[in-house]
Amino acid sequence: MPNKRGHAFAAALMLLLLACDLPRDPEGTLDRVQGGVMRVGISDNPPWTLVEAGRVDGVESMLVEDLARELGARIEWIHGTENELLDALHRFELDLVIAGLTDDTPWTGKVGLSQAYVETSSLVGVPQDVEPVGDDIEGREVAVPLGNAVAAHVRSEGGTPQPVPDLTAARLLVAAEDWQLAAWNYAPTSVELSSHKHVMAVAPGENAFLVRLEVFLAQRGDDARLMLTREAR
Amino acid sequence: MTGIRQSRGFEFPDDLKPVMQRARRMEYLTIAYLLSAIVVLGLVLGQSQALKTAWFDDVLSLIPPIVFLVGSRVSLRPPNERFPFGHHRFSSAAYLGASLSLLTMGGYLLVDAAITLVMMEHPTIGSMQMFGYTVWMGWPMIAALLYSAIPAIFIGRVKLPMADRLYDKVLFADAKMNKADWLTGAAAIIGILGIGYGFWWADSVAAALISLDILHDGWTNTKSSVLDLVDQKPQKVDRSGPDPVVDRVRERLCSYSWVRDADLRLRVNGHILFGEAFIVPTDDRDLTRHVEQAVREIRDLDWRLHDVSVTPVTRLAHDVEEKRGDADG
Repeated sequence: MPNKRGHAFAAALMLLLLACDLPRDPEGTLDRVQGGVMRVGISDNPPWTLVEAGRVDGVESMLVEDLARELGARIEWIHGTENELLDALHRFELDLVIAGLTDDTPWTGKVGLSQAYVETSSLVGVPQDVEPVGDDIEGREVAVPLGNAVAAHVRSEGGTPQPVPDLTAARLLVAAEDWQLAAWNYAPTSVELSSHKHVMAVAPGENAFLVRLEVFLAQRGDDARLMLTREAR
Repeated sequence: MTGIRQSRGFEFPDDLKPVMQRARRMEYLTIAYLLSAIVVLGLVLGQSQALKTAWFDDVLSLIPPIVFLVGSRVSLRPPNERFPFGHHRFSSAAYLGASLSLLTMGGYLLVDAAITLVMMEHPTIGSMQMFGYTVWMGWPMIAALLYSAIPAIFIGRVKLPMADRLYDKVLFADAKMNKADWLTGAAAIIGILGIGYGFWWADSVAAALISLDILHDGWTNTKSSVLDLVDQKPQKVDRSGPDPVVDRVRERLCSYSWVRDADLRLRVNGHILFGEAFIVPTDDRDLTRHVEQAVREIRDLDWRLHDVSVTPVTRLAHDVEEKRGDADG
């Protein structure tokens, strides 16, 4: 018995030593994409992704174009709804999907999600000519985008949501993303309404490609934030 | 209900009391170690089915030490009017429940692994940022699995001889499970490395193997506690054969000049033995005194012979059966 155990550990150790280039892709995405074609699904979700008259734009599109350059890959863009694209990705018909996805997507487990490359939060912000608040919006009116989940968060913080078509025109406290507040020069409060970890999706289990993407995104998180602020202006 | 004769209170003999103390300390240590392993594995828990199963295995490994610690307290409570035999069966009953949960969980995890395999789900394991480097999560997972496997082997090794000396089946099963933990760890590591090499199925195959091991533990432990509760003839702690103590009692009884033939049945209540001996005396003079002395001497034969009564009879049951031609006893 002890001998058998010794062999098992020796074997495990050998495997570890031989395994410095791990992980590899079961379906070979990274190898195929490098110097080849990368099939990228894109779903319109400004400012992360924009599709206009066959042209793509947005923070994530720009990042993916840079990634393709690094990999020597040509991008084949496929437009669709988030659901269609992720289903195709789940079945290995796409290599990458960008749609302003966050890590709480119900597709977790069905597709491979990257690490968050940027984290944003919805905050209550104070325009210059509005009376400031501390960390409490109890009883205050807060402008929120029309038909947006953030209204519910405002209500649970004790505020009164005021849905408006244009946040920048409202003379009220404003519920907006932190990068928007920065772009508009509104003072952020410490009232955080929700937070979002932004991710990209790869085909399930294509771990080498995923890790390659994550290495790339880890270097570009700050760029993403700059691009966002520029978009908001 | 007056007039019920209570069994004697039980205490371990003086040379075993420190063993019991050490065993209890080891079990507290086991629980602390398992909790740390559960946290460490929990931190790296991702989409690997094998890792998830290994994590459940560690959670389930908490059951035997808890049953042991509670059981060794409760079962030593002295007998009272409500429980004239004492509380020695408590551990067996608690252990039956615990073993069933092992069996259920093993079955669930096996089905879960099978579904993952059939659905051809490719486990995704990405990277994490560590000290400014991007590290594939598989490596920290493997490190966590090594932590959850290697110390367990040594903990199991220390506990096994204690279980032998204390005749404690819960402690024995626990020590065996700890010792076998390297198997779980090795299987899960191979599963993770398999994912690394691009064999997506290696993960769920490893998970299935681990859940089979959990099922196996559940099955042997359930069987063992059921056999105890239906009063199987006493077995050695490792169930490798009948306990020789039965024959020693019979030999002692037969060695008395006033005994022509003797037979007995013993049952295991926790650590100790209860039972009845039947003797055919050669003559009836001084019989009561002889019987009382025999009861005392049997008790001194082995600390586990806690409460064995001796009944004089004119002939033994197996004599009757042999006459019928049924020589099974």
